[in-house]
Amino acid sequence: MRALSVGERLPELALPITPTMVVSTALATRDFQDVHHDRDRAQAAGSQDIFVNILTSTALCERYVSEWAGADVELRGIAIRLGAPAYPYDTLTFSGSVAAVEDGVATIAVTGAVSLGDHVTGTVRIAC
Amino acid sequence: MTGDITDEVDATVQAAATEIIGWGETAERLARDPVNQPRIDDWLEAMDFPEASRQRFAAGEAPPSMAQVWTMYGLGGRAPERDPLHAMMNILTDLGLTGVLGTNCEQTYERYLTVGEQVRVTTALESVVGPKRTGMGEGYFVTSRSTWYVDTLTPEGVASEKVASMHFRVLKFIPAVRREEAAS
Repeated sequence: MRALSVGERLPELALPITPTMVVSTALATRDFQDVHHDRDRAQAAGSQDIFVNILTSTALCERYVSEWAGADVELRGIAIRLGAPAYPYDTLTFSGSVAAVEDGVATIAVTGAVSLGDHVTGTVRIAC
Repeated sequence: MTGDITDEVDATVQAAATEIIGWGETAERLARDPVNQPRIDDWLEAMDFPEASRQRFAAGEAPPSMAQVWTMYGLGGRAPERDPLHAMMNILTDLGLTGVLGTNCEQTYERYLTVGEQVRVTTALESVVGPKRTGMGEGYFVTSRSTWYVDTLTPEGVASEKVASMHFRVLKFIPAVRREEAAS
């Protein structure tokens, strides 16, 4: 992998959120909680709509960093903090930068923002 | 204490937390299926990974953040009675802390899994911190640790290898909205 320098920014990645995206990713992660596929149940539970599940928030951090670093990247870990829910008809926009490079591991700081604020903030550690 | 959570409730929570933390790493479960290509393909399609990643993960390796996927309970699946996280959550629910919100998920990958491997997972309750007042309501931060292993048969016997781990934190709380309803 090419040399990384602290402060280097990743290009943004904007992902439209649709009901199909929320449902298909929840099921692809084997998460059958109704708030991820049934709008009536999600609203009864106090949500505005169905929303993206946590396994997908993590997976999309993997995708975001992989698209920038290259498909052959070796991930060491993903640590995320969850914030605003990601609802259909919103856009999840990822941004990021290289936060640290040491001992063969680069720490990439990532943020995935929706219109309500930051949906996910965290770090992805990759071998470098 | 002046919040919704009385000293009596807090004492019950702290006692339960101490006991369940003492169970240690337990509730071992096998993944329903071995790591397999159809599930990897469905996941890559749903997440809309680019073609280069789809090619990489068509050659035997599984995406690392799928680690947890292999041991999800499935539709209608239920946690065992002695699962530390679910036991703690049930106690809090029964005490009126019905709200739940995932706040942190930290995964560490020791290596990538490969198609055909059979994964198992254990769970431990790590900490219960609170009561704390939050924007959602008053509650506790419950942190659990999951550890994934692959067992391989060697001439010396079964070798158990840790392949991934996760710290998962949720806020378990008394929904603030319920307090407003009660007041009206």
